[in-house]
Amino acid sequence: MTQPTESLNPNIPNFGEALKTKTPNQEAIDRLVRNKASVAGLVIILFFMFVAIFARALSPHDPLEITSGQKFLPPAWVKETAGGKASDPNYLLGTDTLGRDVLSRVIFGARVSMVVGFVPTFIIVLIGTVIGMVAGYVGGQWDNLLMRLTDVIYAFPDLLFFIIIMVSLRDSWLGQFMNGLFLLFVSLAIVNWVGIARLVRGQVLSLKQKEFIEAARAIGVKTPRIMTHHLLPNTLGVIIVYVAFRIPGLIITEAILGYLGLGLRPPADSNAMFITSWGGLLLEGQSAINAQPWILLAPAICIALVVLAFTFLGDGLRDALDPRMRGTQ
Amino acid sequence: MRKLFVVLGLLVVASMVLAACGASAATPQTIVQTVIVEGTPQVQIVEVTPEPAAEAKPAVLRVNVGTYPDVIDPQKSSYVIEIATLKQIYQGLTELNAKLETVPGAAESWKFNDDATQLVFTLKKGLKYSDGSVLNAKRFEFAFLRNIDPTTGGEYASITDEILNAPEWRAADTSAADYSREEWVKKVGVKASHADGTDCVDYEDVACDTLTLTFSKPAPYFATIAGLWVGYPAKEENIEEGGDLWWNSSKYQIGNGAFILKTVEPFVRQYFVPNPNFAGPGIPTYDLEYSYITDSAVAFEAYKNNEFDVIASVAEDLDAINADPDLTAQHIQYAGSCTIVIKFGIGGEYNGQPSPFQDKKVREAFAYAFDAESWVVDVDGSLSLPTWTWIPPGYPGYDGDYTPYKFDPEKAKAALAASSYGGPEGINALGLKLTFGDTPRNRTRSEWLVANYKKNLGVDIALDPVDTTTFTALTKDPKTFPVLARQGWCADYPDPQNWLSVYWKSDTTFAQRMGYKNEEFDRLVAEADVTVDPAKRMELYKQAQRILLDDAPSAFGYNTINHYLVKPWVKGIQTTPQDAVFPGDMVPWTITIDTSMIP
Amino acid sequence: MTTYIIRRILWLIPVILVVGFVTFVLMRNTPGGPWDLDAERRQVDESTRKSLESFYGLDKPLWRQFTAYMIGDFNNKGDFVCGLPCGNFGPSYRQRGVPVQAILFRPPEDKPWYYSRFGYSLRLGILALGIAIFVGIPIGTIAALKQNTWIDYLSLFVATAGISVPNFVIAIFLIIIFASGLKWVSVVPRSWDTLDVWVLPAIVLGFGTLAFTARLMRTSMLDVLRMDYIRTARAKGLSERVVVVVHMIKNALIPVITILGPALAGLVTGSFIIETMFAFPGMGRAYVQAISQRDYSMIMGTTIIYAILVALANLSVDFIYVLVDPRIRLEE
Repeated sequence: MTQPTESLNPNIPNFGEALKTKTPNQEAIDRLVRNKASVAGLVIILFFMFVAIFARALSPHDPLEITSGQKFLPPAWVKETAGGKASDPNYLLGTDTLGRDVLSRVIFGARVSMVVGFVPTFIIVLIGTVIGMVAGYVGGQWDNLLMRLTDVIYAFPDLLFFIIIMVSLRDSWLGQFMNGLFLLFVSLAIVNWVGIARLVRGQVLSLKQKEFIEAARAIGVKTPRIMTHHLLPNTLGVIIVYVAFRIPGLIITEAILGYLGLGLRPPADSNAMFITSWGGLLLEGQSAINAQPWILLAPAICIALVVLAFTFLGDGLRDALDPRMRGTQ
Repeated sequence: MRKLFVVLGLLVVASMVLAACGASAATPQTIVQTVIVEGTPQVQIVEVTPEPAAEAKPAVLRVNVGTYPDVIDPQKSSYVIEIATLKQIYQGLTELNAKLETVPGAAESWKFNDDATQLVFTLKKGLKYSDGSVLNAKRFEFAFLRNIDPTTGGEYASITDEILNAPEWRAADTSAADYSREEWVKKVGVKASHADGTDCVDYEDVACDTLTLTFSKPAPYFATIAGLWVGYPAKEENIEEGGDLWWNSSKYQIGNGAFILKTVEPFVRQYFVPNPNFAGPGIPTYDLEYSYITDSAVAFEAYKNNEFDVIASVAEDLDAINADPDLTAQHIQYAGSCTIVIKFGIGGEYNGQPSPFQDKKVREAFAYAFDAESWVVDVDGSLSLPTWTWIPPGYPGYDGDYTPYKFDPEKAKAALAASSYGGPEGINALGLKLTFGDTPRNRTRSEWLVANYKKNLGVDIALDPVDTTTFTALTKDPKTFPVLARQGWCADYPDPQNWLSVYWKSDTTFAQRMGYKNEEFDRLVAEADVTVDPAKRMELYKQAQRILLDDAPSAFGYNTINHYLVKPWVKGIQTTPQDAVFPGDMVPWTITIDTSMIP
Repeated sequence: MTTYIIRRILWLIPVILVVGFVTFVLMRNTPGGPWDLDAERRQVDESTRKSLESFYGLDKPLWRQFTAYMIGDFNNKGDFVCGLPCGNFGPSYRQRGVPVQAILFRPPEDKPWYYSRFGYSLRLGILALGIAIFVGIPIGTIAALKQNTWIDYLSLFVATAGISVPNFVIAIFLIIIFASGLKWVSVVPRSWDTLDVWVLPAIVLGFGTLAFTARLMRTSMLDVLRMDYIRTARAKGLSERVVVVVHMIKNALIPVITILGPALAGLVTGSFIIETMFAFPGMGRAYVQAISQRDYSMIMGTTIIYAILVALANLSVDFIYVLVDPRIRLEE
């Protein structure tokens, strides 16, 4: 609520400014902006999102175009490799084993990795928040049941569960849909909702005792409304920070699954939306590491940048939203 | 602060450990010397580091093999990696020499009867196992019986099916109340005996030197089959005593081959030493070590580091190899034992329609449109050879002159236009798919193939990657056999019978799965199988192969080649196309290692 | 207290049942079976396959196979063969009848138990955890003490970078640098008996945990730094060093110690890529291979073993909390 400066005591300079108070949200944004690392992280994330969306316009070549006789060309700044292969300035990062442009493939890889980072997160947050809130607020039998369920899911080693699911279902209709991405989302969601459910439950449990909740109940506010209007806004901070740290985990999981050959399936059609992923490129690049290290290096650097960016952003968000909050991140 | 010092201390210790284990430093010694300095004798204490004595380096051939075998049991192994160990520690009745001819192994001679329904082996005198115990014909009898026994369950159990009553025994129900192993053993056509025909006594019986194999139909090629690993004489008592893991132990794997298995570290390495009791042409002069690194980039690093003497080269390393004149000189390539083709699924239904490949013109079109030479350069980096015939060069029955469908895009398009589909649009309406097991290698291959057919024929093919095991399962059932798939065959033994009858004859599982049938081919091959006269046999097989090629049941294709990096101090290698894990491994006793050249 | 622990351990049983059931259903739903080898290899023919399936009981109805595995069943000869409760994890099909527990837990001839595949994975996990603790905790402590200086930012950056790049990428580069380039260690270990060859794989495996531990320690220290009892200790006049060492670290360690169990479980179960890169003879590789080979018993057995490990590790979290912080009482 800002006051017009002119109506206050004119003898004290900037008195009005000093009286300006901000909403908690504005303060939070201020703190975030002051954290240089977080801002840098946000910029990087936005950059990769841009690349992912406009991949087709940005990539210099068709990522699926096979050029005969051009395999393993070195990147443009290497004039000639020791083996006598000359670089072609058209292929900035060189070519892969079938003569396809590495830069274009990396650009398209960003699309899959970004999508895998965001879409399952959305599902996870939805499921996890609902379940966590119900378990925490309603309590009793529901809580018991849900917590035992999370226990069982926790017992399953994540990666191994992914592998089993991917291998067993990838040849069914579920696995064919969207080139295998749909199955990836589903399996990521199934395993990962547990963490956020527990987090939200813990937060709700501590909020439940607070006076404003009791007051709302006393007034006669119905449970669903309490959840959406009172509990949810106060857990949002925790959720946001969790999300910021979960997304890079998903991107890395995709990279590992792609490396194991279990991720996206390669389309033959150049007009497909999802061509390749960073994980798949890592797999291709690993065997070619002596011939053309940039097939491996480029996606590795991109993954590292994106994950770093999210981590810094997450740190900043956590410090900004609740400076007293020290999570276990 | 204290914690910091602890950490620093640990780091220092760690780096010392690393450094110490890296270089092999000789320890300095303190020597007291009397030296004349300016006329006065003085005693000086001098620190001298003595030259490390040139150790007599043992000659060891260090080979990287690849994935560790699942099972190394003569009657249960089927994979080239597993056989690689077996063939060094055992010797069969017969062997292959460097020219892939069948020569005596443990048997000094063999004789067919007139119509090749019976084969009698006579063993060499004084055969011994590596531990000195007696090796007689009864041991070989046990080996063949074990291969046929239905409870063994090896992938190559069917390779001895020519033996009388072998297929019947294998199909018998072992849980039936009246099943009796002894009864079947008596009925099956494998018998060890003395030279005069009387029964052998036991495994110590030195006079037991004759093995008689009786067949249900003439099998003039069986002498070669008898030398395969399914006939390796593993010791019965060792198998029983060792139980499930008998084969993973050097105590129980006692053989009669060129080497003795000395140590086994599962998944890490196997170490062999020469067998002084070996009855073969020569005894190796070096030890043998197999390592099991699966990552080819790591193996290549190790090779450059002089930690391996032989590794298989891969296409990704070619740039580095060609850039270095030493590595280029160490890279040897020679003919291999496999032919890979693009198989057409002829028999099945695809999307409710009969397969387009039932129309011969379509098959011709796809065969003409496959640019094998570009494939070899683009996909394999020239580590394979194009071929337009089935049996590979170096094998008996190779017919390099007859190549009906060499690459010709014009003829391909013409053939497609002349077919019942009238051109690419008709085919595209069907929605063809190329099915493959999803590995990075296969992805590259399949993506190239799809582009190849688009360019040369105008046909759209979708990629259909499936899990590798699923791929195998799909190809085993004629109903699910893919309409297009890359498949191949590697020789089990160098005889056209293994290439033609076993694979393309319409009553074999391979031909049935893809739905191929040609009666003229069947007739010729069936006749050739039972012909005893070698020249006549070869002529019949040659005619049969030409008919097969004319039929274009697949787009031929390429031959794998053996390609290895071999250090210059490994000499005397005699390569054969059947080499599996290192060049010359069919005849390892010719190899010598010049240890003076090792840095 | 003991009843709590017993109840938590008893809880393992339904967990194992569910894990086993889910794995079983998923695996049997996958196309292909244990006799479908790689396409380049020779396959078993029909009659061999039939006798193999009959021998291993794979031709029985599915529900019977499941109960046979989890509890026990009568085999073809009529004898009762005990399943999981007797520690029998089934026969491996790929290795033709060798029991899974022998593959994983039996060491090669004349060697002690820790030479088994499980033993190797366990040792690697412990070594990786050791590196993570002894390097991560000091880094986190220093970063907290020098908060917002370049030391803080640098260590945060290094720690974050460690969890960003997938470990197999780090592995290849480290191999090229340290083995081929500097020649400090050999690329291919002749044997795993000396300590030096364990360093590289342990570092790669433990790097993620190291980063996580450092960040956790830093956060925890920052919390403790602002607590009241630290001010009290300082007010009492104790020297700075004593304050730091005795009070702060001890308290800051609490959340870190609680994650040790799950961290170790995570390291042991997550090592398969490292194992492939370094040709390390551990359990992780066996698991991934088994799935691809449809080696049902191996998959069930390894999954259940992993689940038990993780469950025990999670149990250890609560247990250690009670031990370390006497103010906490378990509410049950």
